[in-house]
Amino acid sequence: MSPRRILQLGVVVLVLVYPLLAGNSPVYGRLGALVLLAAIGASAWNIVGGYAGQVSVGHAVFFGVGAYSAVVVYTHLGWPPIAGAPLGMAISVGIAAVIGVPTLRLSGHYFSMATIAVAELVRVLSSTSDFLGGAQGLSGPPVPRSVLDLSFISATPYYYIFLAVLVFLLGLTRWIEGARMGFYLRAIKDSERAARSLGVSAGRYKLYAYMLSAAFTALAGSLYLTMFGFIDPESGFGILISVKMLVMAALGGAGQLFGPLVGALILVPLEELSNSLLGGRGAGLTFVVYGAIIVIIARFLPSGLLSLFERRPARRDRAKSAPVAGHAD
Amino acid sequence: MLKTSRRTIVAGAALAAVGWAGSAAAQETVKIGAVYPLSGNSASAGEYSKMAMEVGVDVINNGNAELAKIMPLAKGGGLPGLKGAKIQLIFADNQGTPAAGQNQTLRLITEEKVAAVIGAYQSGITLTASAIAERYGIPFLTPESVAANLTERGFKWFFRTTPVAIDFAKAYSAFLKEQKAAGRKVDSVALVHENTEYGNSVASVIAEVFGKDGLSITQNISYSANSTDVQPQVLQLKEKNPDALIFISYTSDAILYAKTMKELNWKPGIMIADDAGFNDPSFVKTMASSVEGLVNRSAFAGGKPGTVPYLFNELYKKKSGGADLDDVSARGLEGFLVMADAINRAGSTDPAKIRDALKATDLKADQMVPGYDGVKFDDKGQNTLASSLITQMRGGQYLAIWPKDRATAEVILPYKGW
Repeated sequence: MSPRRILQLGVVVLVLVYPLLAGNSPVYGRLGALVLLAAIGASAWNIVGGYAGQVSVGHAVFFGVGAYSAVVVYTHLGWPPIAGAPLGMAISVGIAAVIGVPTLRLSGHYFSMATIAVAELVRVLSSTSDFLGGAQGLSGPPVPRSVLDLSFISATPYYYIFLAVLVFLLGLTRWIEGARMGFYLRAIKDSERAARSLGVSAGRYKLYAYMLSAAFTALAGSLYLTMFGFIDPESGFGILISVKMLVMAALGGAGQLFGPLVGALILVPLEELSNSLLGGRGAGLTFVVYGAIIVIIARFLPSGLLSLFERRPARRDRAKSAPVAGHAD
Repeated sequence: MLKTSRRTIVAGAALAAVGWAGSAAAQETVKIGAVYPLSGNSASAGEYSKMAMEVGVDVINNGNAELAKIMPLAKGGGLPGLKGAKIQLIFADNQGTPAAGQNQTLRLITEEKVAAVIGAYQSGITLTASAIAERYGIPFLTPESVAANLTERGFKWFFRTTPVAIDFAKAYSAFLKEQKAAGRKVDSVALVHENTEYGNSVASVIAEVFGKDGLSITQNISYSANSTDVQPQVLQLKEKNPDALIFISYTSDAILYAKTMKELNWKPGIMIADDAGFNDPSFVKTMASSVEGLVNRSAFAGGKPGTVPYLFNELYKKKSGGADLDDVSARGLEGFLVMADAINRAGSTDPAKIRDALKATDLKADQMVPGYDGVKFDDKGQNTLASSLITQMRGGQYLAIWPKDRATAEVILPYKGW
C-alpha cells in the first residue's frame, strides 16, 4: 500500500471511531457532530459557490427553510421534525428556481448582492409571520416522544447521521465532478462567455447547481433543528449563517471536494474552543479571530488551504528526479 | 520532588486551617454556571447582569454588614448550609445564538461540573440552553426571559423568577382599580401598541386581564414602530378622549408619540407606558419634560435607604462606575440570590437536592432586589409572587409609586404632560 493509501485509510478509521475517542467528553463528542453539520452546509454551498463559481451570500434562505419546515411539521401537524426535511428540500428547490432564474443572469458580485437581498427579505418576513412563530421563533419537541424525534442526549447518534448525509453529499458531488455537468460547471466558472460559445447551456446548468445546492442546504437546516430544537428568524435566516458556509468553503478550498470539510474542521473547533476559553470574559474575541482568518486567507491563499496540498506532489516529483542528499524519510 | 514538597506544604496548610477554622469543608467551592450574551447585539445587557451577579457573589462570600441585618446569606463566609463553601460563578458567552447557548451550557455542565445554571437573557437561548440542562438533570433558572412557552414545556428542572406579561397586566389593572376607588375617572381605557410580537402579545394579555377585572378597553390601536408619523393615531385618541391610555412601544415611536401629543395638545387623565421604549435612557433624556407624571413599570426603582435594593445598588454603583441597577441587571441579581439561597438550604451540590430546595423556595418581599412580592415557584417553575413596580416620571426620573409599601413617592394624578 502506498503511503497515500495508508493515510487515507487512517483518516477514514479516525472519522468512524471519533465518537469513541471522545466518549468521555460530551463537549468533544458534540464538537464532532457540529463539524459534520457545518461541513454539510458548506459542502452544499460549494456546489454552486465553488464548482459553478456563483458566490451566493444568501444561502441562509435555504438553511432557514429547512429548519422551519422541520419545526412547522412538528408545531402544526405533530409530526417528528425530521419528517419536514423532504418538504424543506422541495420548497428550497422551488425557491432556488424562482430566484435563480432572474438572479443567475447577474454576474459576479451582482449575483451575491441579489442573494443577500433575498435572504434579508425572507428574514424580515418570517419575523412577522404568526405561522412561523414571529420574532419569537418556534421550538421542537421539548422532550422526545419517540426515537423518530431524533432527540438524543449524546451527540453520537447525531454524529453518525450527519456523517451518513455528508458522505452521500460528497459522493454525489464527486460523481458530478466526473460527469458532464461537472465539466460544464468548471467551464462556466472559468469563463461563462467561452463556455456559452462552445454550446454549454450556462444558465440551465447554473440553475441545476443552485437547486441541488439549495436542497442540501435545506437538509442541513432540518438536521440543525432536530439537534437544537429551536429556530427564530435570526438563527435561521441571519446573514452570519450564509457567511459561515462561504467562509468554511473558501478556507478549505472552494470548488474542491473536501475543501468545505477541511474548512469546517478548522473553523468550528476554533469558534467553539475560543468561545469556551475566552467567551466568559466577554470580549467577543471569537469574532476577531474569525475576521482575521478571512483576511489572511483572502490575502495569501485565495484558493483555500487544500491548494497547499495540491502543489506538493508536483514539487515532490521534481525532488525525486533530482539527486537527493541527506533525504531522511 | 518539588511536587511532593508542594503537596506537603498544602496539606500542612490545610491541617492548620482545619485546626483554625474547624472545618475542612471550608475549602470547598460551589460552582454555578451563568450563560449570558457577552458578545453580539445584547452584550451590554449581559455585561450589566454579569456585574450585578458578581456583586451578589461578593456579598455572599465576603459579607456586607448592613445587608446582613436583612439577608441571612449576607453575613459573609460563604454558604452556612454547606459549611461555609464559597460560591464561584462561571460565565459563558451565548454569543446571542441559541446554538452557542446550548453548546456552552453543555460545557458548563459536563466540563465545569456546575451544580446549577442561570441564564440566558434572550428567550430563544434560554429555551435551548434549559433543554440541555433538563436532559442532564441540572437545575436551570432564568431570571429574565419572559416568553410564555418557557414554563409550558413540562420541564422538571426549570425555574423562572421574572414576572411575565400577565403579571404586568395584573399590576396595571390593580393600579387602575385603586385609582378608580380613589375617585378618579377610569371608565374608558385605550391601548396603543406596536404591531410585532412584543406589542401584540402584551396588548392581548392586558385586554384579557382587564376584561376579567371589569375595566373596559374602548380603543385598541396598533401601529408600526417604524412609523415616521403618528398624527392619525393621536387624532383618533383625541376624538374618543379616553380616561386612561396604555402605550406598548419601542424607543423612536415612544419619542414620536410624546412629541405629537404635545403638538396636538391632547392628554388623558392617566397615561401608562409599558417599560421598553419609555424606559430607554434616550427617551428619558430627550422627552422627560414632555411626559411629567407618566406612569411606567420597572422591576427596579431604587428603594428607600437601608433596604435591600438600595444597599445592593450602592454596591453595584461602585463596581459599575456609577451606573445604577436597572430592570435587567436587578432581575439577574435576584435570580442568582434565589439560586444561592436554594443551594444553601439544600446543604449539598447534588442537583436533585437543589431542585427540591428551589421548589421549597419562600423568600419574602423585604429580601427582594427588584420589586417582587417574593419568590415562590408553582408546579411549572414560575415565580407566583413576581410582580412589577409601578413608577412615575418626576422631574426627569422615574420614582416608585406602587405598591405602597415599596413606594418612594406619592402618586400624583392627573397626568401633567408638559
